[in-house]
Amino acid sequence: MAVAEAGDRRNWPAAVGLAGPRNIVRAVATVALLAIALFLIPATLGGDWVNTFTSVAIYSVVAAGLVVLYGRVGMISLGQIALLAIGTWTATRLSYATNIPFPLLILITASITCVIGVLIGLPALRLSGLYLALITLMAAGAVNVVLGAIDFPNGGGGFTGRTAVVNLSGLEPVNRPSGAGGDIAYYRYVVVVCALMFLLTLVHFANKPGRAWATIRESEPAALAAGVNVTLYKLWAFALASFITGVAGCLLAAEVGRPTVYGFPTQDSLTMIATALIGGIYTLWGAIVAGVFMQLVPFIFQAEWHINPNFLLIIFGIGLLQVLLTAPGGLVDQFPKDMAKLGRAIYGLFRKATGAVRRSG
Amino acid sequence: MTSVLGFTVFGVDWVFLKPYIVLGLALGGVYALSGVGIVVLYQATGVLNLAFGAVGAAGALIAYWMINHTSLPHWLAYTACVAFGGIVNLLYGVLFGPAFAKRDPLVKMMGTLALTLILLGIMAWRAPAGGAFVRVITLPTTNHTYELFGAVVNLTQILALAFAVVLVVGTTAFLRFTRLGTAYRAIADDREITATLGVPVRRVEASAWLGSGIVCGASGLLLADLFTSLDYAALTFLVISSLAAALIGRLRSLWVTFAGGLAVGVVQAILTPYNSVTNYRSATPFVLSIIMLLWLARRRVIVFSPSTR
Repeated sequence: MAVAEAGDRRNWPAAVGLAGPRNIVRAVATVALLAIALFLIPATLGGDWVNTFTSVAIYSVVAAGLVVLYGRVGMISLGQIALLAIGTWTATRLSYATNIPFPLLILITASITCVIGVLIGLPALRLSGLYLALITLMAAGAVNVVLGAIDFPNGGGGFTGRTAVVNLSGLEPVNRPSGAGGDIAYYRYVVVVCALMFLLTLVHFANKPGRAWATIRESEPAALAAGVNVTLYKLWAFALASFITGVAGCLLAAEVGRPTVYGFPTQDSLTMIATALIGGIYTLWGAIVAGVFMQLVPFIFQAEWHINPNFLLIIFGIGLLQVLLTAPGGLVDQFPKDMAKLGRAIYGLFRKATGAVRRSG
Repeated sequence: MTSVLGFTVFGVDWVFLKPYIVLGLALGGVYALSGVGIVVLYQATGVLNLAFGAVGAAGALIAYWMINHTSLPHWLAYTACVAFGGIVNLLYGVLFGPAFAKRDPLVKMMGTLALTLILLGIMAWRAPAGGAFVRVITLPTTNHTYELFGAVVNLTQILALAFAVVLVVGTTAFLRFTRLGTAYRAIADDREITATLGVPVRRVEASAWLGSGIVCGASGLLLADLFTSLDYAALTFLVISSLAAALIGRLRSLWVTFAGGLAVGVVQAILTPYNSVTNYRSATPFVLSIIMLLWLARRRVIVFSPSTR
């Protein structure tokens, strides 16, 4: 328990310096990951897989929003999937109503989602952790009811158009960016945009907002005393998280083509925070793991092994308990530590064995 | 504000509205019931139990299975549902309660979220909801109907409300007049000092988990009946309505929680005949609790946080 308590507050990644050996490892890993994502995956895997990896990229951006909110500032949001739904809805409607180019569509969608996210986050300035979590859960529920009631997003002509066809068949899909209409091209486009969102987040972490957030997370009174504008930086965190979630929503709209409200159950907001914590809420690597858990693992279970992926919820629940009680850094923190321990154990055995050989020889 | 002109309310006939009020009071009774369960547990252990709905839903599914797939008497199935709630909550409380005891309320709540996910996973895996197939639990009391003030009421609805009243009165008396109740209040005040004074803190907390679990099983059973279909996802997220009640009671007052539960139930039901808002009526608990949270936060105070008390 002492470990977990210490981990709550002290699990900070090493200070961001540019040339340390850890950063070189990180840079190499990032480049390798991007190369695999951009070239190896589309070259070796089939269509369904590529689509799944598109979703992985999109949901890892949503998880990155949680990394900002909880990992950096210490505010938990149980409504990120509802925010994603708002982004998808906005993008879908804008796409049906106008003919604006895709990058602009992303920016407008993200800005609108950002404003809505900040509005939801406003009470955060006054509410402490538990109540902020509750208000976001309530907001998620309310958004779900509203989207259900207005037949989300139910494409038709114009901004408020509706189609009478229940399953949305015969409807034009949401426009994809020009030159990236095919699944593989669009997948690459999504990976690049998502990488840019990660970069945007990293830039925040490494600069003044990142330091302000760290101070707020450690102690709000101390942050106030140190002259940090707590109101501004909390809202900034909400704005950033909502912005990148809006980008993810727009990418999702064009990926799915004809999104429905069933793609955004309230339950997913809970799974999202669980997977983000399991992956590791303190670093962006954890966000990628969360995206894999949200999209790739269920896909493998369902499509490849024909096992009902709902059973994964049980594992997520157990994993969440484990993270809360013993491994606050999540998989990205715990896995290397455990591997290092294993490595040391094996090395120890090896030393013993060779030592024994040398002595006998 | 309310323009009661003759017998219409906002253009809807009063006679037409009455059955919705009855339904709302019954549902509100269950919300109040679970709301009280949530508040007592929060006071005694500092855990805001988000798994309340999931445990109730799982219990109701077990009862459904026992009724339809075994030849056991029905009352045994109903008992099993209530007992399941008690046992699962008690197990969680005994196994994980102590480990979470000194953590932030937020972390404690996330722990119950884990329990919710586990139960949701089991339910989705073992009892998937499929297309037109609908599970129904009808309590024998539902077949007894009466006419009250011109509206048809069934015994289950009356029982739901009566249970809530009994629970509030009983819990209030329990907290005030019994040794265990005094221990609850002492722990809510200061867990460490209470333990120093020789109160077996963990056992007292376990009893709170058991008690709230039994309430949780009972409300799961009642909701499964009142909602006409047993949809585990819907039942799981009904915890939000009870949370709204508990928040209206500021996670402290049992009577205000009771009133809040009734208010949520009645407002939600009464909106049904109004065409312009009827589709949005299920947002009632969310909206009410958001308003309540904002109201509580109107001054910059960290509201009812046990750690800052």
